[in-house]
Amino acid sequence: MLYDVRLELHYDYDALVHGDRHLVRVVPASISGVQRVIAASLSFDPRPKLETSFVDFFENGVTSIAYDLPHDHLDVRLTARVLVEDAGRSADLSPTVAALQAEIAGTWSLAPQSPHHFLAASPRVPLSRAITAYAQESVERTRSVCAAAMDFCTAIHRDFTYDKEATAVDTTPVEAFGIKRGVCQDFAHVMIAGLRGVGIPAGYVSGFLRTIPPKGKPRLEGADAMHAWVRVWCGVHQGWLDFDPTNAIMAGPDHITIGHGRDYSDISPIIGVLRTSGDHKTKQSVDVITVG
Amino acid sequence: MEQRRERQGAKGAARVSLVANYALLPGIPDEMIGPDGAVRPHWRKLIEAFDALGRGELANRFERADQYLRDAGVFYRKYDGAEGKERGWPLAHVPLVIDEADWNRITAGLTQRADLLERLMADIYGPHDLVKRGLLPPELIARSGEFLRPMVGVKPASGHYLQFCAFELGRGPDGGWWVLGDRTQAPSGAGFALENRVATTRALSEIYASMHVHRLAGFFRDFRDTLNAQARGAGGRVGILTPGQHNETYFEHAYIARYLGFMLLEGEDLAIENGEVMVRTVSGLKPVSVLWRRMDASFVDPLELRHDSRIGTPGLTEALRHGSLSMVNALGSGILETRALNAFMPRLSRDLLGEPLKLPTIATWWCGQPAERQHVIDNFDRLMIGPAFSTGLPIDDHKATFLGARLAPADRQTMIERLLSEGSSLVGQEPVRLSTAPVHVDGELQPRPITLRVYAARTANGWSIMPGGFARVGSTSDTTAIAMQRGGQAADVWVVSDKPVERVTLLPQAGEKLVRNSAGSLPSRAADNLLWLGRYAERCEATVRILRAYNARLAELSNPDLPILAHTRAYLEGIGVDASLGMPTGLLGAIDSAVHSAAQIRDRFSPDGWLALADLRKTSRNFATRVQPGDDATRAMTVLLRKLAGFSGLVHENMYRFAGWRFLEIGRRLERGIQIAGIVSWMTGEEAPDGALDMLLEIGDSVMTHRRRYSVSAGSDSYVDLLVLDPLNPRSVRFQIAELREQIEQLPGGVEDGHLSAAAKMALELHTDLRIAEPEEMTPAKLDGLSFGIGSLAELIAASYFV
Repeated sequence: MLYDVRLELHYDYDALVHGDRHLVRVVPASISGVQRVIAASLSFDPRPKLETSFVDFFENGVTSIAYDLPHDHLDVRLTARVLVEDAGRSADLSPTVAALQAEIAGTWSLAPQSPHHFLAASPRVPLSRAITAYAQESVERTRSVCAAAMDFCTAIHRDFTYDKEATAVDTTPVEAFGIKRGVCQDFAHVMIAGLRGVGIPAGYVSGFLRTIPPKGKPRLEGADAMHAWVRVWCGVHQGWLDFDPTNAIMAGPDHITIGHGRDYSDISPIIGVLRTSGDHKTKQSVDVITVG
Repeated sequence: MEQRRERQGAKGAARVSLVANYALLPGIPDEMIGPDGAVRPHWRKLIEAFDALGRGELANRFERADQYLRDAGVFYRKYDGAEGKERGWPLAHVPLVIDEADWNRITAGLTQRADLLERLMADIYGPHDLVKRGLLPPELIARSGEFLRPMVGVKPASGHYLQFCAFELGRGPDGGWWVLGDRTQAPSGAGFALENRVATTRALSEIYASMHVHRLAGFFRDFRDTLNAQARGAGGRVGILTPGQHNETYFEHAYIARYLGFMLLEGEDLAIENGEVMVRTVSGLKPVSVLWRRMDASFVDPLELRHDSRIGTPGLTEALRHGSLSMVNALGSGILETRALNAFMPRLSRDLLGEPLKLPTIATWWCGQPAERQHVIDNFDRLMIGPAFSTGLPIDDHKATFLGARLAPADRQTMIERLLSEGSSLVGQEPVRLSTAPVHVDGELQPRPITLRVYAARTANGWSIMPGGFARVGSTSDTTAIAMQRGGQAADVWVVSDKPVERVTLLPQAGEKLVRNSAGSLPSRAADNLLWLGRYAERCEATVRILRAYNARLAELSNPDLPILAHTRAYLEGIGVDASLGMPTGLLGAIDSAVHSAAQIRDRFSPDGWLALADLRKTSRNFATRVQPGDDATRAMTVLLRKLAGFSGLVHENMYRFAGWRFLEIGRRLERGIQIAGIVSWMTGEEAPDGALDMLLEIGDSVMTHRRRYSVSAGSDSYVDLLVLDPLNPRSVRFQIAELREQIEQLPGGVEDGHLSAAAKMALELHTDLRIAEPEEMTPAKLDGLSFGIGSLAELIAASYFV
């Protein structure tokens, strides 16, 4: 599937800002066998004094921008053409959750994709007894890691209400779990907390969803904004698989990946440090249109 | 045994030796007394000298050491609640004496250990060979909060990850030293070791001189020279990066900065420009090439490390990737302090260095491995159990580390279940028993357990181990290492030689080039704080003067409703001071603000000045609990006025006329100008009641001068002339402006090629206006405008030098 992705992030500052720096992670990644970025362009208004880029630990592309002159707004614009391959569904080769522990212990690696990075609590995902118990139900209902992850993904979709007003960007998974409401970020964090709690490595994926569904299919929740889902390590043979708890599906040709990390804090679209006393307002718009 | 010891110690003295009543703990080795029951040879001189002094004189000597520490203002901050309290440094007066041969073993062992840690660090932030080869479990690294992923693959600019480490040692029952823990994140205490030494030698100077004690200065000089050489090579400065005055060891940061001549910097002092680290100074951005970090790594950059850090510098990590800064130690070095790593040190030493550890590590079993977990469960009652990923020393960690044998049965069961279900979060460790050393308690020596903190610094010739350090002395006689949690004291450590030792100082040696730091190195934040210190101190003085005049009249007239009193009260109210209180909270607030400003720049003025300010605050708080308006308050204000004058005197008479002093002086002059213009306006206006002019003279401290200069009183003009326009009255507004003009012109960029800076121009304009003004023109409105003008000048200075 070929897509044109357009993203606009707009920040309005109440007071003039100067001497600020940001790290931006919004450009889709090229992932062998999953998706290929044909062209991408990222621009900023006002123009930064300095713009550099680097690849972070989890192999995400990062653009670093710095300003020295005072300004009262920041616009980030991305346009990209991305080819997403439909890998199709393979057979479930994943071990049981108990057997997975031995596979993890046998993985003597700290490479970016090593499951070891995705088992402990991370800055935005503390482990919680309640969420772990919730995930444990899925483990008990199923017989493989992959099936448990899908069951848990479906359970979250069933038990939680998609509600943009209920949570904010800094809501913790424990809070979201308490009210059983939230958006994709909250669902992903709850799913990650639960899976890690039962010993399944899980990470956070940031990306986009196709805006207009294929004929006869329902429009996916979260398609009008940036999206987030979960990747799960399903053992040595199956590797990492992506699950979308907001829509209770495995990520497929409608999902376009920007990058991933342990949680939102590793792959948030923009991290900024402002030297200002004032507040700011944010607007975001996303369009993901099929080409041809 | 007792008799023998008495003979030994009392040699040459008729009285009973101090060691006569020194009751050893059964089965515990002692530093001073050997297994034969006699004083060990390297302690003899000290004990003989103690005995020669006698108990009374010895106590006097130790009091002298305490007095030194109080005078020097040595403190650390202790957090037992939310608010940290400043505590005096708890010096244990008797030094721990260690002989050179014993020390050489420590030196060799720690040199090896520092090398091993460097290799380990290089692998954790490099190729991960140890994990790939199965020597280090990946979980141990990946789960650690100190594994800073953005630093993986970033090579240190100096070529080394570790440049300054500390080690906590204890002497085990076999008489050998054990490593209880490594400090690699941002080791503290080296400055306290130095202060311990100064205080102890104050008390025992002639004994110290006679004992061939290794000096500490050489260690600091070599490290200073190493960092300076790195900085010179890179064309920048050396800074000490501190979290600020609320940190528990801030005193030490300021002390080391002053001692070694490094800049004391906080995160907000730094800016990243084109990938280079710069310090904001009063002369603009200046490059920094070396940062000796005294804060935890994850706080130094809110962009790539802890997003919630408010004390970091955005972009610092990027600068490190850029290779333009040498960080001491490299970010991420805290992971080496992970307790569970101790379990792997013996094997890593054999693998990486090809030799066994010269100093053993406290035996550790990481319960993330089945066999080790079982060992810990089987030996539960003989072990100390604690969190595997903790970076705290077991001896500091009283919340989470405990002895298996001391658990209640129910807790014991819970813990064994935890070992089974989440073993990888836990370690079992041998509960080391420590040796004892003498402390001085109520005129006697008593054995107390000790641990030893030793420092290693990387120099051009490899690791240098400080010949000394400090000993932590337990508060009870419980010798299990874990009992050290309950605090205690710190003693100086004397490494003694048979032969005379090299004498070292940090003063420039013959032939060494004298390096002068230019005034332009003053960080903007320090300048800002100095200016505000000047302003707050002056604001306090102005307020105290008005309050004194007010309360004196209140006592005399005893009717608070009289117009002159009501009029003065209204003025005070306008500046946030409620005169119905004997010690108004507005004044207390101004004093607190002065202390707060001063606390942030303790490396920049004398300990005496600081103590004077602390004393002022203590007195004012004490007054607040009891002083009543009227006579009582008049006396209290007189006391405060004297203390303020004492502070100003100490600071102004002792401070070098550097840019820093100029900002302090500018602050003082700005505030005095504003205050005088304000009160003159208020007291000469149409609404001013009878007696206002006399009151004004008293507040302006100009009663005598007025009487001498003006034989006939001509309305308010003579008052305005004296307090506003007189060029020779040090309290007149014009005098302040003249001083401001002079100081502002001497600031960086004040006058360049004959051109005046914007602030210098503004000061000149204000000065010229006053020079040509006549007293009758100085109406209240004009005076208010003048006050506003001085305020604008303050803003212009801030915009020019502090942004």
